Amino acid sequence: MPTPYLALALAGPHLLELTGDPALLARWDDLPVAFTVLGIDRIDASSPAATTLDASSVGAALAGRTARGRFLVAASPQRDHPYNLARRVASLGHLSGGRSGVLLGTADAYAPPGPEGAEAWGGAGLGVGAPLTEATAHDAGRAVRKLEQTWPYDAIVGDRAAKILVQSGRIVHADHEGAYSIAGPLNAPEPATGASVVGWLASASTVGPAAAPDPVFDLVLGPDGPVAVVPLGDELPDGVDGIVLRPSADQSVAELLDTATRLLADGLRPVEPGGPLRAALGLAAAAPLPSTSRAAFPVPQPQQSL
Amino acid sequence: MTDRRPGHVLLGINVLVLGYLPAAWQSPLLKKDSFVDPGYWAEIGRTAERGTLDAIFLADGPLLTDPAYDANPVRLEPTVNWGQVAAVTEHVGLVATASTTFNDPFELAERLLSWDNLTGGRAAWNLVTTRGAAAARNFGLPDVPLREDRYERASEFVDVVRALWASAATGDEVRHHGEFFDVEGRLRVPPSRQGHPVLFQAGGSPKGRALAGRVAEGVFAAELTKDQAIEHYRLVKRLARDNGRSPDEVKILPGLLLSLGSTEDEARRRSDELHDAGPASYSLQWLSQAIGYDASKLELDEPFPEDVLAAPSDPQTFQGSLGFRESIVAQIRRTKPTVREYLKQTRYTGSGHAGFVGTPEQLADHIEDWFHSGAIDGFNLQPDVLVDGLPVIADELVPILRKRGLYRHEYETDTLRGHLLAGSPTPSPETL
Repeated sequence: MPTPYLALALAGPHLLELTGDPALLARWDDLPVAFTVLGIDRIDASSPAATTLDASSVGAALAGRTARGRFLVAASPQRDHPYNLARRVASLGHLSGGRSGVLLGTADAYAPPGPEGAEAWGGAGLGVGAPLTEATAHDAGRAVRKLEQTWPYDAIVGDRAAKILVQSGRIVHADHEGAYSIAGPLNAPEPATGASVVGWLASASTVGPAAAPDPVFDLVLGPDGPVAVVPLGDELPDGVDGIVLRPSADQSVAELLDTATRLLADGLRPVEPGGPLRAALGLAAAAPLPSTSRAAFPVPQPQQSL
Repeated sequence: MTDRRPGHVLLGINVLVLGYLPAAWQSPLLKKDSFVDPGYWAEIGRTAERGTLDAIFLADGPLLTDPAYDANPVRLEPTVNWGQVAAVTEHVGLVATASTTFNDPFELAERLLSWDNLTGGRAAWNLVTTRGAAAARNFGLPDVPLREDRYERASEFVDVVRALWASAATGDEVRHHGEFFDVEGRLRVPPSRQGHPVLFQAGGSPKGRALAGRVAEGVFAAELTKDQAIEHYRLVKRLARDNGRSPDEVKILPGLLLSLGSTEDEARRRSDELHDAGPASYSLQWLSQAIGYDASKLELDEPFPEDVLAAPSDPQTFQGSLGFRESIVAQIRRTKPTVREYLKQTRYTGSGHAGFVGTPEQLADHIEDWFHSGAIDGFNLQPDVLVDGLPVIADELVPILRKRGLYRHEYETDTLRGHLLAGSPTPSPETL
């Protein structure tokens, strides 16, 4: 078994601490950890902390304020819709140079429940929604992945002679049918670095029946997964690929970074900061959409001047 | 021109990705993927800030139209896009459009307040409703609710969002049970430097204006003529007063499509070249959508028939914007062009916003005229191509406005709400 890599997880108050302190942020940006989960307490069945920030908003700030740190934004289908989530995930992928990804869990500890039986997205009041189960969250992960792939990055050609910016005949519908029905395509291309990493946080206490992690997930965090989430200060487990250090709400980011620095010095495997998350984790490119996918637009024709 | 009005004008930039003209992407200053390049977006923010501009706007909608010939359909998610830009700027306001039709009010309230917090209180939400089956099908619905229903939902949505923002400050639970939403909970996101995001409203339907009068702090309007702009300006300010607010609490910024050059001839040449470089098929498509009538059925060399101008064939299912339509029809009735003349005049502007082609000096004259006439509090400028159009605004237009006492020399306020409230007060409020 190779030496496990180190990763970090931040709860609500840590997000405020990290983004509010430029020195801490610079330190975070330099640390050779694989990734940092932003807002893990939102989806790990914790009680909500006194303060938090939306994870994708924090991700956007990190995309602009840092150069090397990689991160996963925590998300749940409770109040979010896969189309809206996929947009933020793809946008983060572009604006962070592929340093980002998403970590899905079932329920959102900070959000009120939606209507009974349609707790996932039912709160949007559109007459649709799904039960808040692991199966629904898995389906959200599948939909996010598919949507991100509907517009291949290399369809952007910028052909000035033909006046064609995008070979839009290559953009396809997602035609996703599961807990969600989503036509697509997404309104942004796939990041140049490929489809974003989509992770799953398995939880000890789940809502509804537990489902086996879907093959769409690049990464599974949790009690029985290959990447263990370990409370800061606890003994580290053996036989895992990666260790995610998770401080409690009353432990500080500074303490977390101190411990991480020490554990790396003591022999946990450093992962050089900078570059796409997918490459840092040694993950293969996501499987492409089926070639039979329905085209969203006609093949563009060279344009004449008026 | 009427009496000189005290105070300064507000200036925003509507960042239509690379520029409002479809050919913007062909600029030699851009890479083929500039529209998703963080460096491109950072430069937009920094240039706007160099001109001490009040805000930069980003349109949005949860669907993709064909991007074959044009980067305008590309939509990075605005809170993420402006979140990244906020991280590389310090003063400029950031306005993100988000739909009340296809969002959950709790999720959006939490995200917008988080984003506002991280920008240091420079964020605004431009609330819009979403039309059309293409967007609906991304959310498991065959089509969106009809217009009336959509605005009622928007009105309740914004009340829930505002209550949740208030809960962030007070810690009190929101208990909302309405026609569309049931929310019991509170936000645990700390209030931002400006408390919570500024609210913008876009669009000129009666229900949109009523909502603006009730809650908006800024209106992104569409006006083609000064007289109509004055009328709408006074209407929205009056609606604000009728809601017990000061007319100064809502600022009116119509869009203005721009092609600028160092001489008028140069500006015209630029505009012509950019139009000619764009796809020829756009103009009839645009007009059809804007007026709710298949424009390919019109005689190109005849004036518009009155029945086409009178109303969209079916107002309940009309997919365009009523505000834009009203503004287009007023313009056609005033100048009585043939269809071909109108298409040439307007080209494929893609909206009912007025266009301006000329020098920065002439643009300053235009802004000064509309400002002192009481037609605007400011403009939301929409350059043809941003990469070289925005620097002209920041480095040439703004210094002219400053010399005339119409614009501030540096940022004097540190939040977007502060920027807006520092604009000129409503002229003659007693006569609204």
